[in-house]
Amino acid sequence: MIGFIKKDIAMIKNNFKSLAILIIIYVVMGLFGEMDISFVLPFMAVMIMISTFSYDTYNKWDAYSVSLPNGRKNVVKSKYITTLLIILIVSIIITILSILIAYNKSKIVNYEEILLSMMGNIFATLLVLSLMYPTIYKFGIEKARIGIFIAVFGIVIIFGFISKFIDFSNFLSIFSFLENYWAITLLVVSIITVYISYIISLKIQLKKEF
Amino acid sequence: MENILEVKNLCKKYDNFELKNISFILPKGMIMGLIGENGAGKTTTIKAILDIIKKYKGDIKIFGLDNRKDDKKIKEDIGVVLDDMFFPEILTPNDIDNSMKGIYTNWDSEMFQNYLKKFSLVSNKQIKTFSKGMRKKLEIVTALSHHPKLLILDEPTAGLDPIARSEVIDIFQSFIENDDCSILLSSHITTDLERVADYITFINNGEILLSKTKDELLDKYGIVKCTEAEFKKIQRNDYIKYIKNKYEYEVLVENKNTFKLKYKIKVIDKITLDDLMFLMIKGEE
Repeated sequence: MIGFIKKDIAMIKNNFKSLAILIIIYVVMGLFGEMDISFVLPFMAVMIMISTFSYDTYNKWDAYSVSLPNGRKNVVKSKYITTLLIILIVSIIITILSILIAYNKSKIVNYEEILLSMMGNIFATLLVLSLMYPTIYKFGIEKARIGIFIAVFGIVIIFGFISKFIDFSNFLSIFSFLENYWAITLLVVSIITVYISYIISLKIQLKKEF
Repeated sequence: MENILEVKNLCKKYDNFELKNISFILPKGMIMGLIGENGAGKTTTIKAILDIIKKYKGDIKIFGLDNRKDDKKIKEDIGVVLDDMFFPEILTPNDIDNSMKGIYTNWDSEMFQNYLKKFSLVSNKQIKTFSKGMRKKLEIVTALSHHPKLLILDEPTAGLDPIARSEVIDIFQSFIENDDCSILLSSHITTDLERVADYITFINNGEILLSKTKDELLDKYGIVKCTEAEFKKIQRNDYIKYIKNKYEYEVLVENKNTFKLKYKIKVIDKITLDDLMFLMIKGEE
C-alpha cells in the first residue's frame, strides 16, 4: 500500500511548480488584501487531489493498478490516506502563513481564531472531498467534476431560497448543547464522513470494470 | 507437465461483442502467442485473466489458484504490459522504482535500474517526454523487475523499431530460460511470435479457432496454389479454407505431407502466421 501512496505523492511533487505559483498568489493576496487566507485550504486540497485523478485517468492507471497485488483496494485506500496527508501539510503551511501575515499586519496574533477557522476549513474540505471521491470512482473524473459543480451550486441556491422563508436559527438551536464541544464534534463527524465515503468508494472500485 | 495458466469456458457478453467458451492452457516454461484481428477478443481475454473486467463466466486458474479468490498471491508473481494502461505520465522511472518497492515484495531495484541503462531510458525524466517506443520499453522493464513467474503482455512490441523489438524478444527468451516461467503475449506482429512462441492460440470473433504448438502449425499446415481445375479435384474434407485470386486458388490444408501424397502435388508452400490468419478469416469454406 505504501507504494501507492508514494506514487500519489510523487505526482503531486512533480506537479509542484504550478501549485507553488498558486501558493504565492494566495500569500500575496493575504499580505496585501484584507481577506483571511485560510479559505485557501479547501481549494488547494481539492485542486491537488483532482489533478492526481486527472493524470490517473489519462494514463488508465486505475485499470493498470488492478494487475498489481491488491491493486483494486490499495488504489482507493492510498488516495484517501494521501488526501489526509495533503490536508495536514497544507493546513500546517496555511496556519504558519496566517500567523505570519497577522503578525506582519498588526503585531497581534489571535491564535484561537486562526486555529478555529482552520478547523472549520479542514472540516469543509473533508466534507467536499468525501462527497467527490465516490462520485469520481463511480462516474469518472470528467463527469464528477461537472456533477459536483452543479451539486454545490444547487445546494447553495436551494438553501439560499429556503432560508428566505424558513428561519434556520430554531433548527440550529437544537444543537446548542454541543456549544462547548464544537472541536470534538467536528472531528467525530469528519472521521465518520470520511470513513463512509471510503467504504462507498471501495465498494464501487471492487465491482468496477475497466 | 504442470500448467501455469488454465482458462476454461471463459464467456463474457457485451452489447455488441461476446467471448464464447474460450479455453486454453499454458504449460510451465512455454510462451503462448495470442493472435487475431483487432477486436477479436484478445485484450478482453487478457483483462478477464487479470480480473480487470468483471461479470464473466468460466474458470481461470493461475499457478493452480483461482484468479479471483487468490488475487493478491497470484499478482505478486505476474508481470504485465497492457495496451495503453500504465503509471501516470507525470512520473519518472525513478518514481516508478520507488513506488514499486512498496507494491511488490520481490521488487528488484537494481535489476530495474540495470534494465533502464540497457535500454538507454533516462531515470529522472518524466514519462511524458519519452517516445512511444521508450514508453513501451519502460512498461516491459517494469513488468520484469519483480522476478515474475508469468508475464502477460498485450501487444508488447507495438510501436517498437525492429532493433528494439529484437532486444525485447531476446529479453523474453532469456526470461523463459528459467523453466518455471511462462509468457502469454498477444501481438499483431506475427513474425515476433514465429520467433519466440511455443504455442499459438488464434481468436476470431470471440471464439478460439485453434490452439496448437507453433511447430505443429508451421510444419504441418500448408498453402496449395493451384488452378481452378486442380482445385475442383480437391475433396472438401482435405482442405480448411480457400481464397480465389485473379489467377490462382490459394488453399489452406491441415497436413501438407498427406495432401502431397494424395494429390501428387509437388510444391506446397510453407505457411506463415499471417497467411494462416488471413486465410482463416477471409477464406471461403
